[in-house]
Amino acid sequence: MSSEQDQINKQREAGDRDNARLWRAWRTIHEMVQDRGYILAEEEVKISLSDFVKAHRDGSGMVSKASMKFSAHPSDAMMQRYSNPATESNPNPPPPDVGTIWVEFLEGDNVGIKHMRTFAQYLSAHNFHTGILITSVNITPSALKIIPAVASETRIETFNEQDLLVNITHHELVPKHVLLSKEEKSALLARYRLKDTQLPRIQMTDPVARYLGLRRGQVVKIIRKSETAGRYASYRLCV
Amino acid sequence: MASPRMPKPILKKTSYPATPVRNTSTTISTPSREERDRETALQHARILQARKEVELDILSAIEELLDYPLAGPPHDSSNPSVEDAQTFKNLLKPFQPSDYDDLIVERNIGENCGYALCAKPRVKDPLGGKYRIVGTRGRAKDFKVVERGELEKWCSEACARRALYIRVQLIESPAWERDVAQSFVKIDLLDEPKSQDIVGGLEKMNLDDKEIQDSTQNRQDLALERGDQSFASRNGLVDVKILEKDVKREAEAPSLEEDLSGKLNTMHLSLEGHLPRFEQQKKSLTEDDGDEDMDWKL
Ligand SMILES: [Zn+2]
Repeated sequence: MSSEQDQINKQREAGDRDNARLWRAWRTIHEMVQDRGYILAEEEVKISLSDFVKAHRDGSGMVSKASMKFSAHPSDAMMQRYSNPATESNPNPPPPDVGTIWVEFLEGDNVGIKHMRTFAQYLSAHNFHTGILITSVNITPSALKIIPAVASETRIETFNEQDLLVNITHHELVPKHVLLSKEEKSALLARYRLKDTQLPRIQMTDPVARYLGLRRGQVVKIIRKSETAGRYASYRLCV
Repeated sequence: MASPRMPKPILKKTSYPATPVRNTSTTISTPSREERDRETALQHARILQARKEVELDILSAIEELLDYPLAGPPHDSSNPSVEDAQTFKNLLKPFQPSDYDDLIVERNIGENCGYALCAKPRVKDPLGGKYRIVGTRGRAKDFKVVERGELEKWCSEACARRALYIRVQLIESPAWERDVAQSFVKIDLLDEPKSQDIVGGLEKMNLDDKEIQDSTQNRQDLALERGDQSFASRNGLVDVKILEKDVKREAEAPSLEEDLSGKLNTMHLSLEGHLPRFEQQKKSLTEDDGDEDMDWKL
């Protein structure tokens, strides 16, 4: 084999590796969005590598991140889980704080204030309730400070491409986490006569909490399999 | 004016419930535990709020300075426009050095020179390698090995100097913890605007100084009225009062008039005019010289 041919092969291999990486991140983010309760078609979530490359490659055969973006609507079940139950004191509770989600992969060697502002403005302009920005590099400290500053308009979450190469919730040592609705939460607290602060905690920065997009004050049920006791559940309050 | 308070002992906690205050004549009642807890909680909430506001200010200042300078030619980094220089200085007031570093990072992402009053793009060295050698043509003390990334933050060495000149003037402590004196920072540029009208510039400077004095005075008055001169005392962390010692004796100037002969035998002990005395010496000095020959009788 000539060295020129060798070079081309090597390049193609590297390109294939990059494409496969992006495909894995794409799969994981779709699974995450679906697991949170947004509506996605099965074939969108379980897309094969070749179909993914076909759909997103540019002229050179490489996947272009510029085309890696999608939105999804919350399912009825998700709306139900986020709904605020009517009480005597508050017969007309506010509507659930969920809405359309927008996911975007960002190209580039750095992500600064301007990128984050552009993203936030895009979300507001299109009435997206939540936005997920996926980058391959670290985001600057100032850019991260924009997220709380625009929190009243839109929710921004950021993920690193690297962290999406595997779906952590599929790991056998990670127990199943299920978000409780507000009704289920108050039922739980009433049954055990607890205040929510008496529950064990899960940090909002915990990888699984980030995966599920948990908010402060929400409670997750954690279901573990035990060899002696079968299945048992525990509960954690997100702080 | 604040009424003078009794100095509080530091070690003894008079407000502790186990040791009730005997002295009922003092009008200050000790706050209950709940009151104190509430006060502490409020105190913390206030600090958090102040911190949040400062951080937002800094963020919007960085965003504004991303697109600086506003004035085009003939102004440049060695001769910025008066308005740009003034806004730049004002916006930097709440900055800590680390916030300033964040500004440079953000400007560099936009490929701008890190010095906010410079409109040029930063340099990008097409050659690889992590380090560069600088100052090979100057004197030996200028010779340095620096990281390439460090050089690529600026358009030139002059701008690097201008930018760092500002960085060292920034206050290390966060703005929400600064006291009155610190909350008024004056930042100088290495290259101030070169005004064509020097007289006008001078007048403006004087005006500014007047303004500065007024505003400092106002701040201090306000702080005094609130009784919160510094963050620490506002927080109740320290309650220290310095009391001037009262001197009753009439002040008198030291003199050399008196006869030196009496001091001759102790003069070699004198330290800058002060004569250290020890107990025995004290005795022998105060006693009559005539007693000297009685010592052996003991
Ligand atoms: Zn420059």
